[in-house]
Amino acid sequence: MGVAQATHRLDDVADAVGLDPKPQPDPEDDRLVRDAALQVSTLLALVEATASRHDGLALAPFEVILREQLAAVGGSLATTDAEPPPDDPKAALEALTEAFGDVAKTLRRDCLRAFSPALTRVLAAMSAGVAQCAQEIGDLR
Amino acid sequence: MTPTDALQAWLALEHEAVWLHPVIGARHRDLLPRARTAFETHRDTRDALLRRIEGLDAEPVSTALTYDVGSLASANRARRAARDLEARISAACLTLAGVTEGDVRAYAVKNLTRAALAELTWGAKPRAFPGLP
Repeated sequence: MGVAQATHRLDDVADAVGLDPKPQPDPEDDRLVRDAALQVSTLLALVEATASRHDGLALAPFEVILREQLAAVGGSLATTDAEPPPDDPKAALEALTEAFGDVAKTLRRDCLRAFSPALTRVLAAMSAGVAQCAQEIGDLR
Repeated sequence: MTPTDALQAWLALEHEAVWLHPVIGARHRDLLPRARTAFETHRDTRDALLRRIEGLDAEPVSTALTYDVGSLASANRARRAARDLEARISAACLTLAGVTEGDVRAYAVKNLTRAALAELTWGAKPRAFPGLP
């Protein structure tokens, strides 16, 4: 992807969450956006698979949050496959909690590498939101 | 906004938190343990921010005599005041993260996560982008 396309994509990300875009044409930032989209789409696929397998678990609010994040980074769920969730609901929640925790750490690490201030803030906020979800899902057990 | 300005804005909120939580604990016995833990956390953060700002040869913002946090008459209103304050701290940490690099950015992001999780302990629901408008 070229610099102009990368800049355009970062503008879209910032604009989607209400930040005033400040273009910083850095190819590494565009890779961070793509990585974030992959992380969130994989997590969303896992949540959907778990909700489908265990329809008694109240996971809809977490799906909404992940879809909002995915829209901000321009990701798509269609290309993502999820691991089958455990048969035991408690084990499924534990797996989800761990998965959310892992993504929160990855996003936190990546926001420290971002060049653009707008992308830094978006990734940091996403990390905090995913950490909140991990906490809430843990409390469902 | 400069990094120092962002640190000062965050410090002002930590001053408010150090004022607010003892008031909540004093008025609502059932919230006392949570308020005590929150007070200790925010006191330590305030002290750390004071050291950071003094290390930049800047004069740290001082505490106000009182703060307009709305009514704390009921436990629900007290919880709301506490979670609103944590949300404002989340925003301040996120602003700092956007204007800094390296260790200071890492410190801001670590505390953003702490504030976002603290919002939950006071009854907030998870959000997609804690700290963003």
